[in-house]
Amino acid sequence: MSASLSYTRQEMMAIATGREIHDGELAIFGVGLSMLAGYFAQACHAPNVRSITEGGIFGATPVGGLPWGIECNRISSNAVSFTNAIDALGFLVASGRCDVGVIGAAQVDKFGNVNTTGIWGHEIGNTYTPPVTRLTGAGGANDIASGARRFVIMANHEKKRFVDKVEYISSPGYLNGGDARERIGFIGGGPSAIITTLGILRPHSKTKEFELAAWFSFSSIDEIRANTGWDIRVAENVAQVPDPTEVELAALREVDKTGMLRKK
Amino acid sequence: MSTNKLISLRDAVSRFSTDGMQYASGAALPVGSDAIAFGREIIRQKREKLHALFHCNSQQLNLLAAAGAVDRAECGFSGLEVFGFANGLRRAVESGRLALEDYSNLSMALRFLGGAMNWPFVPATVNIGSDIAWRSAFAPNAHPAEEKIPVIADPFTGKSLGALSPLKPDLAAIHVTLSDPEGNAIMIGTEWSRFELSRAAKKVVLVADYIVDPACSRQFPNLVRIPGVLVDAVVWQPFAAWPQSSPGAYDIDEAHMRLMNERLATEEGTARYIDEFVTKTASFDDYLAAIGADTVERLQKSSSSFLLDPYRHWIKTREEVETLLARNVSKGGA
Repeated sequence: MSASLSYTRQEMMAIATGREIHDGELAIFGVGLSMLAGYFAQACHAPNVRSITEGGIFGATPVGGLPWGIECNRISSNAVSFTNAIDALGFLVASGRCDVGVIGAAQVDKFGNVNTTGIWGHEIGNTYTPPVTRLTGAGGANDIASGARRFVIMANHEKKRFVDKVEYISSPGYLNGGDARERIGFIGGGPSAIITTLGILRPHSKTKEFELAAWFSFSSIDEIRANTGWDIRVAENVAQVPDPTEVELAALREVDKTGMLRKK
Repeated sequence: MSTNKLISLRDAVSRFSTDGMQYASGAALPVGSDAIAFGREIIRQKREKLHALFHCNSQQLNLLAAAGAVDRAECGFSGLEVFGFANGLRRAVESGRLALEDYSNLSMALRFLGGAMNWPFVPATVNIGSDIAWRSAFAPNAHPAEEKIPVIADPFTGKSLGALSPLKPDLAAIHVTLSDPEGNAIMIGTEWSRFELSRAAKKVVLVADYIVDPACSRQFPNLVRIPGVLVDAVVWQPFAAWPQSSPGAYDIDEAHMRLMNERLATEEGTARYIDEFVTKTASFDDYLAAIGADTVERLQKSSSSFLLDPYRHWIKTREEVETLLARNVSKGGA
């Protein structure tokens, strides 16, 4: 049945991300793709997910399409509480209370460190010079990466984005791997998955290096390897991700009314 | 009898802003509730060398950076959300004209809290173990940048933490939805860090979409999160956050958001933008004309406009506000 369904790679990525969010969890989503994935989960299999935004909007769902910002009017029209950043990102996220966060990445490396600050094209070195391309900065993603019990990274799977070592760590994953994260003393547990437009990567339990855990029906292990900037290992139990169901696609498209994920 | 602190935008900028000051403003939502009207007047009055402290970037910082009014900035988020990179800010950073010091959306709020509390530092469990702590645009030769977010020991457990420096801006221009003439203000939508900022800044100017009767504050005292005792001046400016949104009042102007960011991507475009939408929009009528009557009407038909309903009864008309303003002019100001 699902083989006949037509969907985009972005939609598959959003659905696979949404499947990482479980019913009843306290969850925080960033704007754009991660918000769509989160509200898809809520509309589909996790109706009791308790979602918050960075500035402290509680209990709201988007109205009239994808919000322009995390607290735009489209996400302010059916809230039960408006608070503030110290409440949402501090009391609920940095404290360790939030179960799961979803963040995006311009660049991500083999230990799940995320760069959204800038592209230098080389290692920065001892002197911090301006980037060739300035990106959006860490926003709340650093706070989510530091404090949430676990977080999921979403990124388009391209070789230039999937690098051996990010030039700048905006939001920490497992740093140099192994127990590096514990040694810093983060409250949160680190990234549990990188969901891409080609498949799913998960960290090795000891080394914390991300491995190829699953591919999508339209991708392959070879395609993922060819589009990854480090020599990615394939997990022992690697498998194909189940295709989206009709129910899932309908739920996603209800959330993605403006069709952001269907643009080519 | 409450004090009337209403003054014009022009008077507020000339009285409370100076070249080189630490200027805090910016969005509550990265693309909304931004006192950008104040930033437009800063450009009209040719202030320069500003040190901007913006919880999140907004079109205001994007514009001020593009115009060359800002030398240094500290921010959590520095993009424009779904509208992409902030081209004016990006250009200023990439050229080295503006030093942008990166923090996160929680750490900026905590630094305002630290300033408000008059604490020497705020212990942080975020930003540690990342290049936000290790790299400093203000001390580019220090790696790791030990003076930006120094590692300290928890005196109880000995565990490592980061120490965030507090912020006490010279001036905060804060967007609010409603304010009475004394500066008792209600923010519809999330506050982000406007509560902390109003207590951290040395001077506070409110930029309000609507002026309400003091009876409104007395009806909803729990919702007045910025009381007038903290406020130095109140500026009335309809569509103060335009082209960004103000929950309950108006939606985002999608077309102008894009036009503005496209123009700010180049020097020539910035000059054109400033000519058309800054220099020529000093008066209320010119400003509203620049937005366009049809757009004004459309943006006010927001799915969030029911949020304003409980307060509409107390909103003062233009004539009433102008009468209050005139009283202050004749008295020589608030």
